[in-house]
Amino acid sequence: MRSPLRLERRLSQPRSLRWLVPLISIGAALVLGSILMLLTGKNPITVFQRIVESGFGSKTALRGSLIAATPLAFTGMCAAITFRVGIINIGGEGQFFVGAIGASLVGLALGGQPTAFTIFAMIVMGMLFGGAYAALVGVLKARFHTNEIITSLMLNYLAGILLNYLIFNSTSYWRDPRSIGFPAGKPLEARAWWPKFELFGVQIPLGFLIAIVLGSLVLFLYRRTRFGFEVGVIADSPQAARYAGMNTRWKIIAVVTLSGAIAGIGGASDVGDFRHILDAKGLQLAGYGYTGIVVAALARFSPLAAVGVAVVIGGLTNAGYALQGPDFQSGLVGTLQGLLLFTAVAGEVLTRYRIRLRRTTTAS
Amino acid sequence: MISGRRRAWLAFAIVGALVLAACGGTDSATEVVEETTDTVAVTDTTPAAAAEPFTLANFTPMEGAEVVNCAPPAGEPIKAAWIYIGPINDGGWTQAHHEGLKAVQAALGDQVITTYKENIPEGPQAVQTIDQLVADGNTIIFANSYGYQDAFVEGAAKYPDVCFEHMTGYKISRNLSQSFGAGEDGKYLSGIAAGGDTKNGKIGVVAPFPIPEVIRGINAFALGARSVNPSATIQIVWTNTWFDPALERKAAESLIAAGVDTLAAFQDSPATGEAAKVAGLGWAGYGADQNANFPDIWLNATIYQWAVYEVPRVKAALEGRWIAGDYYGNLGDGFIKMSSIGKRVSADTVAKIAEASARLAAASGSMFTGPIKGQDGTEKIAAGVTASHGEQMGMFYLVEGIIGDLPKG
Amino acid sequence: MFEINWGAMNQEVAVRMTGIVKRFPGVVANDGVNFEARVGEVHALLGENGAGKSTLSNVLTGLYRPDEGTTELNGVQVSLASPRDALSAGIGMVHQHFRLVPTFTVAENIVLGEKNKNLLINASEVCARVEQLSTRYGLAVDPRARVWQLSVGEQQRVEILKVLYRGAKVLILDEPTAVLTPQEADTLFATLRAMAKEGRTVIFISHKLEEVMAVSDRVTVLRGGKTVGTVETLSTSTRDLARLMVGRELVFDRVVRVGMSEPSNPVLEVSNISAYDDRGNIAVADVSFVVGRGEIVGVAGVSGNGQRELAEVLGGMRPVIAGGFEVAGIKVTAGKVRQSIKAGVAHIPEDRLHTGLAASHSVEDNLVLKSYRHKPVSKFSVIQRKIIRRHAVELIERYDVKTPDSATPVRLLSGGNVQKVLLAREFSADPRVLVAASPTRGLDVGAIEGVRKRIVEAADRGVGVLIISEDLEELLSMSDRILVMYEGRIIGDVPTVQATREAIGLLMGGIVTANTGISNAGITEPQS
Repeated sequence: MRSPLRLERRLSQPRSLRWLVPLISIGAALVLGSILMLLTGKNPITVFQRIVESGFGSKTALRGSLIAATPLAFTGMCAAITFRVGIINIGGEGQFFVGAIGASLVGLALGGQPTAFTIFAMIVMGMLFGGAYAALVGVLKARFHTNEIITSLMLNYLAGILLNYLIFNSTSYWRDPRSIGFPAGKPLEARAWWPKFELFGVQIPLGFLIAIVLGSLVLFLYRRTRFGFEVGVIADSPQAARYAGMNTRWKIIAVVTLSGAIAGIGGASDVGDFRHILDAKGLQLAGYGYTGIVVAALARFSPLAAVGVAVVIGGLTNAGYALQGPDFQSGLVGTLQGLLLFTAVAGEVLTRYRIRLRRTTTAS
Repeated sequence: MISGRRRAWLAFAIVGALVLAACGGTDSATEVVEETTDTVAVTDTTPAAAAEPFTLANFTPMEGAEVVNCAPPAGEPIKAAWIYIGPINDGGWTQAHHEGLKAVQAALGDQVITTYKENIPEGPQAVQTIDQLVADGNTIIFANSYGYQDAFVEGAAKYPDVCFEHMTGYKISRNLSQSFGAGEDGKYLSGIAAGGDTKNGKIGVVAPFPIPEVIRGINAFALGARSVNPSATIQIVWTNTWFDPALERKAAESLIAAGVDTLAAFQDSPATGEAAKVAGLGWAGYGADQNANFPDIWLNATIYQWAVYEVPRVKAALEGRWIAGDYYGNLGDGFIKMSSIGKRVSADTVAKIAEASARLAAASGSMFTGPIKGQDGTEKIAAGVTASHGEQMGMFYLVEGIIGDLPKG
Repeated sequence: MFEINWGAMNQEVAVRMTGIVKRFPGVVANDGVNFEARVGEVHALLGENGAGKSTLSNVLTGLYRPDEGTTELNGVQVSLASPRDALSAGIGMVHQHFRLVPTFTVAENIVLGEKNKNLLINASEVCARVEQLSTRYGLAVDPRARVWQLSVGEQQRVEILKVLYRGAKVLILDEPTAVLTPQEADTLFATLRAMAKEGRTVIFISHKLEEVMAVSDRVTVLRGGKTVGTVETLSTSTRDLARLMVGRELVFDRVVRVGMSEPSNPVLEVSNISAYDDRGNIAVADVSFVVGRGEIVGVAGVSGNGQRELAEVLGGMRPVIAGGFEVAGIKVTAGKVRQSIKAGVAHIPEDRLHTGLAASHSVEDNLVLKSYRHKPVSKFSVIQRKIIRRHAVELIERYDVKTPDSATPVRLLSGGNVQKVLLAREFSADPRVLVAASPTRGLDVGAIEGVRKRIVEAADRGVGVLIISEDLEELLSMSDRILVMYEGRIIGDVPTVQATREAIGLLMGGIVTANTGISNAGITEPQS
């Protein structure tokens, strides 16, 4: 028996869908979530109220959401930049790590210098490290046609091993010599900590502001520059790009490098804004790179939208921690978050496809 | 690669570690965090009338400790919270902590309202969680992972009227305490069980990280094994994981292939036990009593009893008698407990375990009494000398009889 | 899923479609179309592009669901929800745009999507069957070759084989002869007739009148989404069909030139070029020729004989092994697209939508695909959107491109308008040389006229034109000279005034006779 419904690709996407579908998605998420809540004996209205309140409802809630959102904004942009041109760089995770390694190196070395100087050096180093690490993926793809999914994934593991080595298995520059018991990164001097800004009383990490600026720059790069034009054509049709005399190899390398550089700045922000050490264990368990792919997908691979989506996901994450406790198991929170993401992604599919009823044969 | 459950660690600080006077033959292994000046104004911390100073076996008050008044208004219950690194049903580390929460609730009844947050990542999110818990009115907060330490230092500075209880770390301050216990005592007893079990004298250990706590535990295990089987060798494989069943099982299988006939593992997954079960070899676990699941191969395991520390601490907070300090529990106060012993362990070995258990309960850490030689045969602890608490906390060598390397710095 | 019992063919009518209506946003593609094909006939579906032929066949193959109307197969009313449904009901389609997986082999493509009883594909068995079918129907193709390595013509053969392999009872062929030589087309027609004789129904979609006259039993003509009528082929003529199709009189004639060909004043000089194909085999072998100012030189040949590679060399997309070429006396470095562009080579590739254009990009972006690097389109690396739009609006008007606006993706345009966009861009660069590969393939009569006119106008302005085409009529009607390529070499260089259709056809098949191509028959009258 086949399903009476089938998906049909839309020839064009009506503008109205762009707004309607997200609304319907949210509606569906609320309904499905409510069913889940009722099944587990909770009042859906108070639960949703608590999610909104603890994710976005107060200055402290917003501050927490922005903290959770900042790394995701970078990794989301990293994924969006390559995915939108058909390169599947899932190496944001490793590029983020390597960026953090580079940034903490200068952060530690220049800790005593003026704050602005140190911050600038950290950003540059994060960018260089992340970019160079990603460039490996780009070069392998452009020169040897290696599958970038596999290489970027392998480099994620390698970056993890490198973190472990630097903190756990050696007395590297990054390791705190006092942490003989449990190995930990050397803490950054407080002078090198990145400042936080206040906007309407909400604390905003410097990294988040950088993410917004970068998102706008990348958007401009893609929409308005020669580089963006070429990259767009390469993504649309590599044949046409070759036909028009574009150097596809260098563009592929450049795009992957750019995405890695952004992930690397994310790594710098993680060190400078939040952890103030190279946290080998925490970074690997956070999984920012992989969540970033979800962020990018929900943002429809728009770099700037990725920053916005990161805030929503960050808020949801933050609200999740606030929500859970003895009366609300973390597994249930996870299920609820998964449900919201699932409906969002399903809605995204609906903007590209439409559901048609399959009529069956009338005579035999 | 580190993955899965995060574990906290008792760490040792070289700096500031040797300040306190010896107390019962024990050096302090803690670092006092300087009070930061930008805290919220320090409130009146006059102890409640008639409050006696807090005391507990194996608890060393911070130098100059003052009572922190995190008690609720009279007649109201105290709100106590736990921040967990893993899920409450992880079958090991966090579950053991959660047993502590339940014991507190049971002991104090309606005088306490407990809550917890599970699966909280280390890093920026921990600070958020502290803020949230304080905003919800909790005045005593526990955390069970080393990685929360800096968040707790920050929280303690920010909320001077909240009592912070961090586990397995080393930084203490006016309202921040540390706690852990002598797992090595239990591992010594597991070593005796393994030494009695092995036929060919080859014991394999699937070891997590090459860090002092684990090294100390392996050394204790090796000393225990060789106390009953002086020619036994202990071969180790590092996994660099706390919880990665697949990898740990592979490590165990590689040890079996290398010819060991008894196994121990200091991670929290029973993967080594499963490999041992297939080969029919004895297995000493860690953190959980797996006797019921592995009846034929089970030797014994070290279990942590957090209630021993947590119940009196919450009670002290409730009564306005809480002071900061450092707790290091052991077999003597019941913080370290031996699991049930498997049926394959001989009566003779059971008797030896009981004897050693009694000896260690009276003097925790006393297995590190010389003469003890390192792997290379050089003397590490002179005859008749017992390594100090500080020395034990910083132990970074393997004793004679262990086959395996420590990473070079 | 349903099965049509084709064994019990008590019905005379194999396919009956009644009152088919299919609307797309803003367009009614089929507006009450009636269509009927009998068992055992070759039925031509004739109409200009946009007349609704493709839509109708897509309805019949289950790709589209009609908004109104019914379909009967062998007397049974059906509702086909997918091409798979249609295939299981015995309807197979050979598309104009190929639906092949480039990285798979021919054999793999042929079995792809087949309802497999046993999961494993027996490769040698499949190959054997494919080879058998190839031989039987004269569709030469190596079942083990990978599709991306095949020429367009070969790919079409794979498409035809795919449907034959699955034993469809009703075959729909959408412009099947576009890439075949006249001889090959004749073979195919014989095949189609044989299939009809076996009791299959062949629906032959075309806008080429001669073909329709040559192969079909009956013809249904569509115009503007409506059925104009169905006629017996024997009782009609090309002229009548043309009138039915376009609604006015059309005359095919030798183009009228305003400007002069100057063969002695070369703008393109190709000397001893050799080049590999994608598989690394020699595709172009020691080719030399000259195109003069204002001259139109045709390159005839069966698809896959090196014409595409030659065009790519001139366009800069393919490096040479040996030899080189000069444009207006200046040597051009081969294998560098920008060099070719700079030298003034305009290139209309065979695959217009995916090589000549970026299909999902807008009309305006495609119009600057080669000029975006320089002022005024970009300044300091920043793309000047306003200028691009103004440029687009101007060209859209000048080249009469039918598009809702300049921001519409070119993939949404009809074939003729796609080609107009391409021509507009290439001509706007003011080229010295135009290399056009199959410039009118797949276009309808009206559009073909327009494209030819534009090319001739360019030649009149002095552009040297090299047209590569498998459509001999086209070459005969346009070019001053015809080069014939066979296995990478030029084996004939014939002034059109001395060429005959037959002689060129023989050369295309590699047959060089003493008097090859040099016939005194004069201009061959295009049969129209």
